Amino acid sequence: MTINIAIIVKLEPDFSEGNVSYNSDGTLNRAETKNTLGPHSTIAARAAFYAKVKYDARVSIGTMGPPIAESALQMAQRICDAEELHLYSDRIFAGADTLATAEVLKTGIQKMQGKIDIVFSGHRASDGETGQTGPQTAWKLGYTFFGNVTDYEVNVQNRTIRVKRLVSLQGFNDIIEEVDAPLPVFISIDPSYKPVFNTISKRLAYEKYEKEAKIRSDNYKQYLRVFNVQQLGVDPILVGLPGSPTIVYKVERIPKGKANRKAEVFDGSNPEHIKKAVAKMREALAAMVIK
Amino acid sequence: MTDEYYKHVYVVMELEDGKLVPVSFEMLAEARRLIDIFNKKYKSDEKVVAVLLGHNIKELTKTLFEYGADFVIYSDHPELKEVRNTIYTKIISQIAEDKTIAAKISPDYAEKFKKPRYMFFGADAIGRHLSSTVLVELESGLASDINKLEISDISLNHQHKTGGKPEIYEKTLEMYRPDFSGFLWTTILCLDNRNPDIKREYHPQACSIIPGVFEALKPDPEKKGMIIEYTPKIDEGDLKVKILSRKITKSNVDFDSHKAVVSFGRGIKDSPEQNIKLVEELAKQLGAEIGISLPISKKPFPVSENLASTYMIPDRVIGTSGRKISPMMYMAVGISGAVQHLAGMKDSEFVVAINPDENSPIKNECDIFIKGRLEDIIPKLVEELKKQSTVVQA
Repeated sequence: MTINIAIIVKLEPDFSEGNVSYNSDGTLNRAETKNTLGPHSTIAARAAFYAKVKYDARVSIGTMGPPIAESALQMAQRICDAEELHLYSDRIFAGADTLATAEVLKTGIQKMQGKIDIVFSGHRASDGETGQTGPQTAWKLGYTFFGNVTDYEVNVQNRTIRVKRLVSLQGFNDIIEEVDAPLPVFISIDPSYKPVFNTISKRLAYEKYEKEAKIRSDNYKQYLRVFNVQQLGVDPILVGLPGSPTIVYKVERIPKGKANRKAEVFDGSNPEHIKKAVAKMREALAAMVIK
Repeated sequence: MTDEYYKHVYVVMELEDGKLVPVSFEMLAEARRLIDIFNKKYKSDEKVVAVLLGHNIKELTKTLFEYGADFVIYSDHPELKEVRNTIYTKIISQIAEDKTIAAKISPDYAEKFKKPRYMFFGADAIGRHLSSTVLVELESGLASDINKLEISDISLNHQHKTGGKPEIYEKTLEMYRPDFSGFLWTTILCLDNRNPDIKREYHPQACSIIPGVFEALKPDPEKKGMIIEYTPKIDEGDLKVKILSRKITKSNVDFDSHKAVVSFGRGIKDSPEQNIKLVEELAKQLGAEIGISLPISKKPFPVSENLASTYMIPDRVIGTSGRKISPMMYMAVGISGAVQHLAGMKDSEFVVAINPDENSPIKNECDIFIKGRLEDIIPKLVEELKKQSTVVQA
């Protein structure tokens, strides 16, 4: 007996130096910036690989995007040794907000082989940053949702899962909450997640699947299925722009705030200035101690 | 007109360990401001409605009037002591669509009431997920991480929304969200599809609000309102999700007990590895904790695994996507000062910036601006700090 895992991933701008390009006003130059598997999608793929190693799980990956988004599937497959890749790609899907995106992903996950026991998503996309798509897909699937998950263990026999999740709230200490739930569940994985492979059997399985993942991802097209709106069988009214309640009405530069402090400017190449600056800093720190 | 189906602003309160999370008061203050303007402008009488779920919370309900609520709807049940997404989502959605409650708030609207007009949640570990699932259940739109709100009448000609015809959307909530770069502001609207081919109503217009952005009202003990109890219907199956334990965890990053914080940003780019080490040295000399700007948490530079896993992590981010701090001294090294970053550090007592560009926004938020490259300046500062501290000790 094993479990079926799905991951939803996203192709995102690559913010690493040399790949990212900014306009002179500090905004992202999307045309010049390369794309890659999102960093949070990468972590979700690692969480899925843990299930592959530990429970011999079957892994499927889904993404919505233009044809080039298949590279995100390949990169994620390289990490988690998936045996099924889904690309949901249709011009109709373009311009979707999170509700319309969740509709596509939900329908896609329901089309994966085997009934999915756990869906993993990243914490949030590094370009959109809403963090809404995961929980919205979960609700549409009718799966219990857990956010900010830092660790998980599955009881394969009982079909239950135990997760640890990080709860950070303004003005409170961070809390680690441990929760037990029946499968299926939807997990959005916390950025701090780190899988541990500390037994010999796990290390052996790790090496085996690691090799397999490389071979599979080199031949990823064999595992790839592309779905357009008809093939996915989703109602066109519920996806893309028609299915999106929200629109981006305008984009403007955030006005530069008025000066809240009057900065004293020091020239860093002038030793006298450095001396004065340090004296001020020390004064500030000393004054505080008395308080 | 669909206007009569949707009334009031419902604000979802957040509790942790039996106490209200500050963002709850902040949201009430902003809801109060908006609704007062709204009622005056449209000559109506819509309400600020606080929604509170938990256990043994009756006493808390009164407080909410002092902070701006006209009505408090609450559900008190042992199973609501902690937030479980499924249970909370169902109850909040039930409350939002309940006609009996709507009748108590305003009998005039009760017959036609379908859902709230607007709905606010906190953009944090509770509200971010709850807002997402509730808005799927209510089948409407959601904007996240908002830091400014206005209500206006919008004229729009949109291919999908209006079918290419000009329309006026009255009483529309303009939801402003700063983008990931911190330099752009995106206004998001949640609008009905009036295009006959895809006609659909989308209410409530909902958003999650960044904690710490709006200021809570000064509590006014004179303010009173009506308390409405809602008896929740909890599905047996949902109780299979069990919270086994909750433990306080200490992050390895400790901004609170250090009197100084030194943060670095993209300015380290010319030689990241060495520059982070320079920052380490400076922080050591000042007894400071180390912070970063948001872009650094996306690991934009190749550095050793050790440095990356120590510093380029979300836990260290200062700003609206991370921590809000107010140390005795804050140093911004190679940080230009995007609004989100400024929001996280502007309450610091004394601020020092090291930056080659005098036009950087950080200059408006610092007390000392040391102009130049951090590579040149930090070693000099460290040397001078050592020198001056010896003098004092002697």
